[in-house]
Amino acid sequence: MAVRIVVDSASDIPAEVAGELDISVVPCTVFFGSEAFKDGVEITKDEFFQRLTTGNVMPTTTQPSVGDFLDVYRPLVEAGHDIVSVHVSGKLSGTVNSARLAAAELTGATVEIVDTELASVGVTLVAKVAADAVAAGADAAGTAEAARNAAANTEVFFVPDTLEYLKRGGRIGSAQALLGSLLSMKPILTLVEGEVHPREKVRTKAKAVQRLRDIGAAGAPYREAAVIHRVPEEEAREMAEHLAAFTANPVFTAAVGASVGAHTGPGVIGFAGLREG
Amino acid sequence: MNEQPSSTFNAQDFRRLVVSGAGCLEANVDAINALNVFPVPDGDTGINMLLTLRAATSAELPDAASATVGAMSSALARGALLGARGNSGVIFSQFMKGLANGFAECERADGAAFAAALRAAADAGYQAVGNPVEGTMLSVMRAAAEAVHPPDGTPDAPDVLRVAYEAAERALAYTPEQLPVLKQAGVVDAGGQGVVAFLAGMVSFVSEEPVALRITAPEGGLESAAANVSHEFLEHTEEEMYGYCTQFVVQGEGLDPDAVRDQVMAMAASTVVVGDDRIVRVHAHAEDPGPLLSIGAALGALDQINIQNMDLQHEEFMSLHGYGGDAPEQAEAAALAVIPVAPGDGIARVFRSLGAAATVSGGQTMNPSAADIIAAVQKTNAAFTIVLPNNKNIVLAAEQAAELSESPIAVVSSRNVPQGMAAMLAFNPDLTGEENAEAMRGMLDSVRSGEVTTAVRSTTIDGVDVQEGQAIAILDGALAAAAATPNDALAAMLESAGPEEGALVTLYYGAGLSEEAAQEAADAIAERFDGIEMEVHEGGQPHYHYLVSIE
Repeated sequence: MAVRIVVDSASDIPAEVAGELDISVVPCTVFFGSEAFKDGVEITKDEFFQRLTTGNVMPTTTQPSVGDFLDVYRPLVEAGHDIVSVHVSGKLSGTVNSARLAAAELTGATVEIVDTELASVGVTLVAKVAADAVAAGADAAGTAEAARNAAANTEVFFVPDTLEYLKRGGRIGSAQALLGSLLSMKPILTLVEGEVHPREKVRTKAKAVQRLRDIGAAGAPYREAAVIHRVPEEEAREMAEHLAAFTANPVFTAAVGASVGAHTGPGVIGFAGLREG
Repeated sequence: MNEQPSSTFNAQDFRRLVVSGAGCLEANVDAINALNVFPVPDGDTGINMLLTLRAATSAELPDAASATVGAMSSALARGALLGARGNSGVIFSQFMKGLANGFAECERADGAAFAAALRAAADAGYQAVGNPVEGTMLSVMRAAAEAVHPPDGTPDAPDVLRVAYEAAERALAYTPEQLPVLKQAGVVDAGGQGVVAFLAGMVSFVSEEPVALRITAPEGGLESAAANVSHEFLEHTEEEMYGYCTQFVVQGEGLDPDAVRDQVMAMAASTVVVGDDRIVRVHAHAEDPGPLLSIGAALGALDQINIQNMDLQHEEFMSLHGYGGDAPEQAEAAALAVIPVAPGDGIARVFRSLGAAATVSGGQTMNPSAADIIAAVQKTNAAFTIVLPNNKNIVLAAEQAAELSESPIAVVSSRNVPQGMAAMLAFNPDLTGEENAEAMRGMLDSVRSGEVTTAVRSTTIDGVDVQEGQAIAILDGALAAAAATPNDALAAMLESAGPEEGALVTLYYGAGLSEEAAQEAADAIAERFDGIEMEVHEGGQPHYHYLVSIE
């Protein structure tokens, strides 16, 4: 009997990271009109962005259903595992609610649910720390505690190409204030207490990327860091190499999936950094 | 009642001296404005100094016969500090403050006291500016002070004044040797000329004969005017009423500033009318501003209309100095506010869209006073206010407002609108006022700033030949190009700026241009340079066809 880690697809966890650490992924669902796709299962990242940029229907997203969670939880419980389920901010998605309802269905099972108040690779970094705790012999409660500590020490910053998608999806939070601007800008956004919050406003993409690098350096040193993006791979790798200089573990890059991409749009770049707590 | 004063001055003598100095400045205000060495429409040194002096003489002054020179000079200085406009006005208000410090303990002023006060005035002027430049009003004032210092023991105050005046005149004549830009333009320093005019007015008051002031106007400039300070002028000023301070600009063709002045003077006090055949600026105090505006509207297009109720200003001034009175109308208290100075409605809109709590209207040729800035700060009623002057000629007035204001003000010294916009973007309501000011200052040099205007005179500056009436482009403070049209000048400026790939060029087009013309200019630039982004906004600013940021 062991502890197993579960995340949702809004963690943007790369398949190789999930495979290596035995982390299970519960897919969120993305809709184009009445067409529904399970993120990463029924639609790839490239297919999603292809439709997003060429289609005329704006996508919407929905949290995994209780059934989606049960599909992942039940086999793990039946195999005798305890579960630590690590998720996207409850203020951005109802995912943690579905997880709780699913856990309540499984009488007698141990399921610890962690609301990271983060999104995208921020969630993945927390899941990595949870996996490390499991490897070090922690039980479910200890692993969940390690995950909550890690979440409190993780920051996410990102620069969307436009605020349009965050606005349409209702996830814009206090970055709402930026919508009135008559000047075009590339805001650097972050998550504060689980919600989108403006960190800085700059006017060009080049300056925004430079500021992201500065912010990355200012927050260092990190135990874990990762780059999230929907930009050319080379730009993401440059950011990862920059962060690697102040990060204990290898820095990975992750392409944005449908659940997150529906709210950031294409052209987004950002990173998550997890400091030693 | 205007008998010649004796060898020492009492409080009322001193007030009349200042009023007489103001009168001489007023008589020469056009000529002083014309001593403008840059071919851009910023010839407002004379008017700024005059408006500052007017604020001094129309302040609440002690009228009891028992008032001391110290109390009188202190009241005059307070009025000047609050009413100071433009850098020249602010420095002049500091001279007034220095005089008041020098006279602080004086019941009457004799020669020695006057000499000491002139010294204190010169010192206060130097202290007011970060980087004092020689060949300006500072050197002229210092020369006046040094000529009578150390005091030779003469008790005769009028003699001290005469010596100081003569030294100031010599120092003024020397300013072109100190500042090459003056020599190149063939002029003396305008602010220094203002100081000399002020001293000439004072000397006229203590002399039998009016002092003849010779102002050498630049080529194509205005005729010199004599310093004829009449007793009628003094009495007129003494009776000055409150009412509405009315300022506006008339743009048209074939305008006659002299005729406008006569019309305005017939119905208003404190009349200052300056300009040429295409643009006339009017400043007057009237009980009803309507008829004044009608005069302007009949002649051409009205612009930069600014009407202030001086009775209310008077009350605000009184309450500011703890004399009681009603508190001005105030907004609900916020923790933090940013108030930029905006030279046009469009610029003001953009600043507000970025989170500015309010704006103060003003710019290159309409410098707001410290009191204007304080009034906006009080109305916003934030616990901490950051002021963006957005013009190098408004920085000192903003700093003066910060010193005089009861609630804390931090000045982020933006020297132009693009810098102000860059600073505004750094504003973050999550941070403290001081943290914000620091972050905003850090952004000032992140943009390059350009402007396109019309040359008001022919000259050679920064190696570029300029003909009056040509469109000229200025990049980061240096003349970059002169061309037949604003769009050509803009294109030539961009050529010399050489924007990098990925750069963003933002155009704020002025009151005289159409959106189509601005869009045409933007399209041409976008075609010329690969990979740059163009953005066009209505700025609504007067005089400047374009304000441009390159980042």
